[in-house]
Amino acid sequence: MIALAGRPVRWRRVGLWLLGWAGLGVAALAWQLAASLSHSALVPTFASAAAYAWHLLTGPVLSADLLPSVARVLVGFGISAAIGITVGLLVGYYRSPREWTAAVFDFFRSLPTPLLIPVALVLFGLGGTMVVAVIVSAAVWPVLINTANATAGLEPIVVDTARSLGLRGPRLLARVILPAVSPQIFAGLRVAISVSLAVLVVAEILGGGSGIGYYIENAQQSFQITGSYAGVLVLCLLGWMADSLFLLAERRLLAWQRGVVGGGDA
Amino acid sequence: MPEAVLQMSHVGVTLSGQDGSVVEVSRDVSLALAPREFVSIVGPSGAGKTTLLRAASGLRRPTTGEVSFDGEPLTDVRAGISVVFQEYNKSLFPWMSIGKNVAMAARHLPAAERASRVADALRLVALEGMGSRYPWELSGGMQQRAALARALVSGPRVLMLDEPFASVDALTRGLLEDVVADLWERSSFAALLVTHDVGEAVYLSDRVLVLSARPSRIMAEVTIDLPRPRRQTHTRRLQRFVELEAEVLEFVYKAGRGSAGQGS
Repeated sequence: MIALAGRPVRWRRVGLWLLGWAGLGVAALAWQLAASLSHSALVPTFASAAAYAWHLLTGPVLSADLLPSVARVLVGFGISAAIGITVGLLVGYYRSPREWTAAVFDFFRSLPTPLLIPVALVLFGLGGTMVVAVIVSAAVWPVLINTANATAGLEPIVVDTARSLGLRGPRLLARVILPAVSPQIFAGLRVAISVSLAVLVVAEILGGGSGIGYYIENAQQSFQITGSYAGVLVLCLLGWMADSLFLLAERRLLAWQRGVVGGGDA
Repeated sequence: MPEAVLQMSHVGVTLSGQDGSVVEVSRDVSLALAPREFVSIVGPSGAGKTTLLRAASGLRRPTTGEVSFDGEPLTDVRAGISVVFQEYNKSLFPWMSIGKNVAMAARHLPAAERASRVADALRLVALEGMGSRYPWELSGGMQQRAALARALVSGPRVLMLDEPFASVDALTRGLLEDVVADLWERSSFAALLVTHDVGEAVYLSDRVLVLSARPSRIMAEVTIDLPRPRRQTHTRRLQRFVELEAEVLEFVYKAGRGSAGQGS
């Protein structure tokens, strides 16, 4: 019985997975066709861009530009997560700091990030520190705002229960509030990842001194058209990997939540 | 009469909303809970029963008056008082197994003793061996029994119950009432139950206090002289039970009419 019932589900999953890859294949094919039909020097074929991308991943560009970019994203995202979660919990839980920080946060949050790059360049100069600072200035907000809103909107009964169990202060925040709002924190972190990647590229183009954004900009300036397309492909790959890893972590850490929302999988 | 384990003297609670509105929920509530006594507070909806229980448990400070526990003023939550809330589905932590939920209330104990206490508490509420399950894997009645186990694992002197059976079906409710009655008879805690269900209050209690409409005060006290142990199939059919239930109900209706006269 179980084997029979389990089989169609598993095959459906494999089917969906194959369908996803088939979609990517069709997109690559369309690119290939369009590029070869246009005969334009400005649009390389998918095959040549992919081959170039492989060359980037295996050549000296890997350590010169790619790894620094990955490190910047990781550090910037990590700092954003740490600040966003900590400050978000405090601001969400305690009412008076929430009131006097709301306006300040709203102000900084609505600043367009590229606007901060010239300032960051003055403060930190060219290079990694500047890029990380700019990433943090943008990626901290989705985490902080999500955490603070979820904490402030938490069912009072959750806090009452924890308090009646004798939990207070930092322990109450870490052992009850943090897990209780972790689904919303994860939603914020996921946004922060894609924000980090987007800001990374902009900051590197404007003054990274190295990195994948810097590489793409350079390739384009020196008419290495295929190179800049390849850079974009590598960046896509990076984003996809980050998101996949993230979903994997989320599924593990929030496994309890699948039962709570009533879904669960078959 | 032995000295009260929990005493409320002239307690009044005024709530102020974020929009500046001020509501006087209760005014001048006094009661004394003797050790091992079972007392229920019933009242019309909106009489501030939950607010009163939060004040009694130290979760909030009363605006006026005083609460004392064991002869000392109660200004915050403290060990010795356990609370079971109405919404067990929100009060059990969903990210922890049942066993860990219960262990939260015994976390000051050394690991070995904690484990055996948790197992004992789960056995008391007939959830033996369910410690590794997660709350969502359990039925409503089982979840509320788990919440009871968590409240009792620390060996409280006072157990406070806030409409604990309001969100389960009638049959489960009867069964849970008997679980509480049985635990209370076998242990040594005093119980303070807040409910809108007059039958439940009469069935479980030694004394029933009737709350007036807002701002509430205690308008009547009925001593329940039904024999123990009480059992659903037996106790609720007694002539005396029916009389007492009618008596309390009359007070509650009187209180309800009072609130209807005052407007919302």
